[in-house]
Amino acid sequence: MVGVHWDISWHRSIGRDTFWTPAHICIHLCGVLAGISCAYLILSTTLDRQSPLRNCSVGIWGFRGPLGAFVAAWGGIAMLTSAPFDNWWHDAYGLDVKIISPPHMVLAAGMMSVHMGALVLIAGQMNRASGELRRSLQILALYVGGMILVCLTVLQMEITTRSDMHTAHFYRLVAMVAPLVMGAIARASRYKWSATAVTGIYTIFVLLMSWILPLFPAEPKLGPVYHHLTQFAPPEFPLLLMVPAFVLDLLWQRTAGWGILRQAAVSGVVFLAVFWAVQWPFANFLMTPAARNWFFGTKYFGYYISPNSFLARYQFYRMEQGAQLWQEAALALATAMAAMWVGLAWGNRVSCIRR
Amino acid sequence: MKLLAGVLLVAPLLAHVGSPDVFFAGDAGPYRLLVTIRPPPVIPGVAEVDIRSLATDVRQIHIVPLPMRGIASQLPPVPDLARPSKEDPQFYSGTIWMMATGSWKVRIEVDGAQGPARLEVPVPALSTRVMTMQKGMGWILALLGVFLCAGLVSIIGAGTREAQLAPGAAPDAAGIRRSRIVMAVLSVGVILAAWAGYAWWDSEADEYFRYVFKPLKLDARLEGGNRLAIQLVDPGWLNRRTDDLLPDHGHLMHLYAIRMPAMDVVWHLHPERGASGTFEQTLPSMPAGHYALYGDVVHASGLPETAITEVDWPEIQGAPPAGDDAGGPVTIGNPIARLPDGSQLEWLDNLKLRAKQPYVFRFRVMDASGQPASDMELYMGMLGHAAFVRSDGSVFAHVHPSGSVPMAALALTQPQNPHAGHMMMQTGIPPEVSFPYGFPRPGEYRIIVQVKRGGKIETGIFDAKVEE
Repeated sequence: MVGVHWDISWHRSIGRDTFWTPAHICIHLCGVLAGISCAYLILSTTLDRQSPLRNCSVGIWGFRGPLGAFVAAWGGIAMLTSAPFDNWWHDAYGLDVKIISPPHMVLAAGMMSVHMGALVLIAGQMNRASGELRRSLQILALYVGGMILVCLTVLQMEITTRSDMHTAHFYRLVAMVAPLVMGAIARASRYKWSATAVTGIYTIFVLLMSWILPLFPAEPKLGPVYHHLTQFAPPEFPLLLMVPAFVLDLLWQRTAGWGILRQAAVSGVVFLAVFWAVQWPFANFLMTPAARNWFFGTKYFGYYISPNSFLARYQFYRMEQGAQLWQEAALALATAMAAMWVGLAWGNRVSCIRR
Repeated sequence: MKLLAGVLLVAPLLAHVGSPDVFFAGDAGPYRLLVTIRPPPVIPGVAEVDIRSLATDVRQIHIVPLPMRGIASQLPPVPDLARPSKEDPQFYSGTIWMMATGSWKVRIEVDGAQGPARLEVPVPALSTRVMTMQKGMGWILALLGVFLCAGLVSIIGAGTREAQLAPGAAPDAAGIRRSRIVMAVLSVGVILAAWAGYAWWDSEADEYFRYVFKPLKLDARLEGGNRLAIQLVDPGWLNRRTDDLLPDHGHLMHLYAIRMPAMDVVWHLHPERGASGTFEQTLPSMPAGHYALYGDVVHASGLPETAITEVDWPEIQGAPPAGDDAGGPVTIGNPIARLPDGSQLEWLDNLKLRAKQPYVFRFRVMDASGQPASDMELYMGMLGHAAFVRSDGSVFAHVHPSGSVPMAALALTQPQNPHAGHMMMQTGIPPEVSFPYGFPRPGEYRIIVQVKRGGKIETGIFDAKVEE
């Protein structure tokens, strides 16, 4: 995920000059490493009948290996497949400067699978372990959960800017990913402060990226240039997901006996209400001159951001009105509950994985 | 649809017709440069820039693209170094990204023994093609896609069947059945997801097609025997307008009427726009025939366009040409075109012409006695005008001594210079004129050259055979 944030910052500060930028290599190295390490796990388990992993493996197309290794290997192949597809896409339709495009989604699916594979690989071992080893693996699972949250929020980065934060649509978008990850990792890790931990890892990671990247010099190599830059443009200040996460952890500690449907419904409402309550006023603050410093980072812009844009003028997009507002708000609520249910259900499955 | 081989050219290409490359001869301070810019067919994309320095004391050249107008025209990104050729140290080449559709300029920064200097060359950045996927690439991606889909179904199936079993335990019949049901349902889901992805791809392609350049069309009507009425018809492309035209050396439109296929009658006319927005022109006397019309205009952004149409006209009893209008029946001269008043226009080069190569085409005007003409005048502020036309009419480029760049666009790159875009010399005009240009593809071409001497505009025409 360092490579992804670095690459996006590269695009915002320098622009793409070659495929072989360090950030790009960093991203695709992730796919290569996942592919190689998982291929080793699968081949060694398949070919070595005395392998200690053999009894803890699943069989696919004649190969044997831990389930997570297959998932991560699939992700690595998907990431590598996206490279020629993306290259052709650029040739056919020009260099896309947007994150959400078909080849980028193949890349994102690959990256998500590498994360999920790592989580499943850890979960399989963790669910067979006890004591200190289980505790260590639990920490690793929480870290991977944090990285999954980073990955999903990156996908939404260009449609969840601070200018979007006073629209109901913004809350619907965040509700698609955050409850999913929080619910899944809570059930998968069985750690009572899991949501706080996962969102804390996300927060620290994004903060570090937003503080470290501007320390390095960069100048735009592409035009049109609307903002003169002398350093890397960092990501925006992280979303305040830790607050609803903390409330959810408290809630889940008191509702452990509830059914998954009831828990998802209540958790979805709580998540949305708390997140809305903290992010909305915080967005007001982000628009003020007080936030235009290295800490909150609202003084940084990508070189191509038009000075007439809402973002550059520190203004919010107009909030939905009337029926559209109610519709978006209702959809945000339904999305939060549904995502929470999917996360909890998937987390339950992961908590039972032993291979 | 996407897996067809090849490239579809969707429109006649930008300014000029079928001739997208920019050729320019100009001075960066004391350094004389010949510049060729090959814009990318897809925006954003990479443009190739070749520069030949006629000065020997150039040390380094940098190139940087800028939008023609607006705040971004004042904020250049980091310039790229144009690297000198190992074989020819006065030949420099480099690449630049053109990131947005519209009117751009390439700033050329020269450093040499006579100090730093710069030159700006207008260049249109327009997507002009829709590329379909090559078969080989299509098959590779399709196979990888099938592999990934099958792999996904199998992994989920294996997970359902075995992932929750205790180490060493074998799956039971119920687990296997459950796994098969999950795989069947998932297969349907994967097919639906692939279909949704394909539909998304289609919608992205449609969105891209919105940006592909769609040139203006000419609607030409002959009224009252010799009155031509022309309407610019916009097929719909982004936010283009037809009422924002800039005068290009004094005229909003330069119209070439060429009788096809012989190209034996050529007129260079200048219709005036009436109050209704219609361009009007009183035609000169013209023989009947099938004419190709090429109307050059320049938008306020500096973006040039050539609107085209073809018409069948009866013999026209017209009025004598007035102002800058000139032309008529022409005879072909290679290398010497004999003009109606007995003077001659000689093509000085004997070149073996190849497509995509930049050349400087030189012509000399001689009077009836065979001596270099001494009564040359500027024709619309220029030593001469030339048009390069392919025999099938699919390539047309209106070129000046400074190159294929329209003067109105050039003037926008030098807002502080009121004389940008036309020459200032009024006396001592040489009898030679040259035009930098390169043919886009092989074929038979005609070169139409117009100069002015002794108060008369003369038209000479030459054949050019261009090889691969």
